[in-house]
Amino acid sequence: MTESQSESAIIVRQLCREFKVRQKSEGLAASVRNFFSPEYKTVHAVANLDMRIESGEIIGFLGPNGAGKTTTLKMLSGLLVPTSGNIEVLGYTPFNRDHDFLKSISLVMGQKQNLWWDLPPVETFEIHRRIYAIGDAEFKTRLSELIAMLEIENCLETQTRKLSLGQRMRCELAVSLLHQPRILFLDEPTIGLDILMQKKIRGFLLDYHRRFKPTILLTSHYMDDVAALAQRVIVINNGGKIFDGRLKELTEHMRPEKVMTVIINNGEFPCQLREGCRLIHREGQMFRFLVKREIVGELAACLYSTGQIADLSIEDAPLEEIIGQLFVSDNDSAATAQE
Amino acid sequence: MKLFAAHLATLKAHFRIIFTYRGMMIIQAIRLILLPMVLAAAWLSIEKTAENPYSDSDYLLYYLLVPVILNLTDSRLVFRFPLAVRDGSLSRELLKPFPPLSGYALESIANNLIQLIYLLPFTIIAGYLVKDRLLLSHLSLQLLLFAAVAVALGGLVRMLISGSISLTGFWLEDVTTLNLILNGGIWALLGGMIVPVATFPEHIRRFAELLPYRYMLSFPIEILTGRLSTTEIWQGFAVIAVWSGIFALSMRLIWKRGLKVYSAYGG
Repeated sequence: MTESQSESAIIVRQLCREFKVRQKSEGLAASVRNFFSPEYKTVHAVANLDMRIESGEIIGFLGPNGAGKTTTLKMLSGLLVPTSGNIEVLGYTPFNRDHDFLKSISLVMGQKQNLWWDLPPVETFEIHRRIYAIGDAEFKTRLSELIAMLEIENCLETQTRKLSLGQRMRCELAVSLLHQPRILFLDEPTIGLDILMQKKIRGFLLDYHRRFKPTILLTSHYMDDVAALAQRVIVINNGGKIFDGRLKELTEHMRPEKVMTVIINNGEFPCQLREGCRLIHREGQMFRFLVKREIVGELAACLYSTGQIADLSIEDAPLEEIIGQLFVSDNDSAATAQE
Repeated sequence: MKLFAAHLATLKAHFRIIFTYRGMMIIQAIRLILLPMVLAAAWLSIEKTAENPYSDSDYLLYYLLVPVILNLTDSRLVFRFPLAVRDGSLSRELLKPFPPLSGYALESIANNLIQLIYLLPFTIIAGYLVKDRLLLSHLSLQLLLFAAVAVALGGLVRMLISGSISLTGFWLEDVTTLNLILNGGIWALLGGMIVPVATFPEHIRRFAELLPYRYMLSFPIEILTGRLSTTEIWQGFAVIAVWSGIFALSMRLIWKRGLKVYSAYGG
């Protein structure tokens, strides 16, 4: 199938991937028994996953450790063969490893590197240019753009192994984007980086996406990455999809309340609490409530009208908490279904 | 042409990396030189039987050239590839529009070529020291060309054997023992490392001539000793072609099956 037949960048249907994992009990006797008669357990890393991603979207691909995110990314990039199901990425079947397909994608893993460890990044860029057959003029333009956007001009000629993690990650992004991939798989791209560097990488990715519109599939345990970048989130747990929609929908669905923190000047709380408003914490003159979204405005107006407010903030529950709640409720329903 | 440029760029990159590991290269050179020196001394000190076609001059030439040929036909695939499967770094190669095994093969070739910087001076100096005992008058341009082709083909067949063994790393956690059996012990015996193949008893020599091992070491030196006829040289090339075909096919089959079980461990 060619790309013209499909508007979507990625189409996944009933995708499954199983691994056979050897089991071994403790002790010498078990080791001997296992040597002659090994026992295997089948792990369903990805189970009946369906998803469709349109060209140019940025998708946050979320799930707890072991949920199947990285396995899915590896199947989408052609590193792993699915046990069953179909994948189309830009109209290609990834596992066929067609060179045109490989030239259209990039996989950046925060814990793995594409740069040559013993060479300075500038030499990796040159090898990359040859492998991806990038023309001289195009290469020069793209490289100078990436160097400027990522602010890496000072580390181009330093041996990769001598770069700091932040410098290395920015150079990793540069080499992964030199061939201007149409699909970018980002697996924990900010892992281990300090807050400032995380922010820098996020800013770069947003800027890059605005200019070149690649499709981005991002996994990250840092919810700030997801909140800043993802237009849509797909949440998986135990290998299956449990949510697919806008981040706002997820927040509203999982947490119909907002967190309102009020600091009053003195005395008792100045407004009457009505249904849909629950005090969850009090410390001196500071009150924290869970307030239903539809009455937040009304309560805030009441508080301001009293003239007793020293400070007031209204926030969504932290994203980590919301996602965590989603996993817990999914695990609970899976346990109930098993019973 | 683009693929050639990519291969050339990768080869150059490996050259640059290997130059940063000079100490390791010197140790490797010493390893390559020591055993042939001991063997040459042993063969020169014992009395030869009437059936032995090799003279002292032949033995000297043979063991002078063993380190160079040994190095030029060496393959590091069997050490590098299984490691890449285990630590997951193969994934990086699989994502590039470039033949994944080429990178490992080019690393091996670069290593072999740079090692010559250390081996050739030794060979030239040692050759100069024993020049009075060496008979080189038979050497011609044609013989040198045949020997050069034989070295290249010997390197190819060794790379393909190592490649086939290393690809079993998709299933086996450690392929070094398999390599020691198939590409180490048998090769040392039947390839001419311990004893030149030409000096084997006839029935063993005929058997060795059918196996690939002779062509990875002994054959190019036999050409240079001037003891092979042109027909025998072409027959040797034919045997190499057959074995190369067999191992290329086996690599292809193992690769296809191996990729399906590859779990991209470690990311």
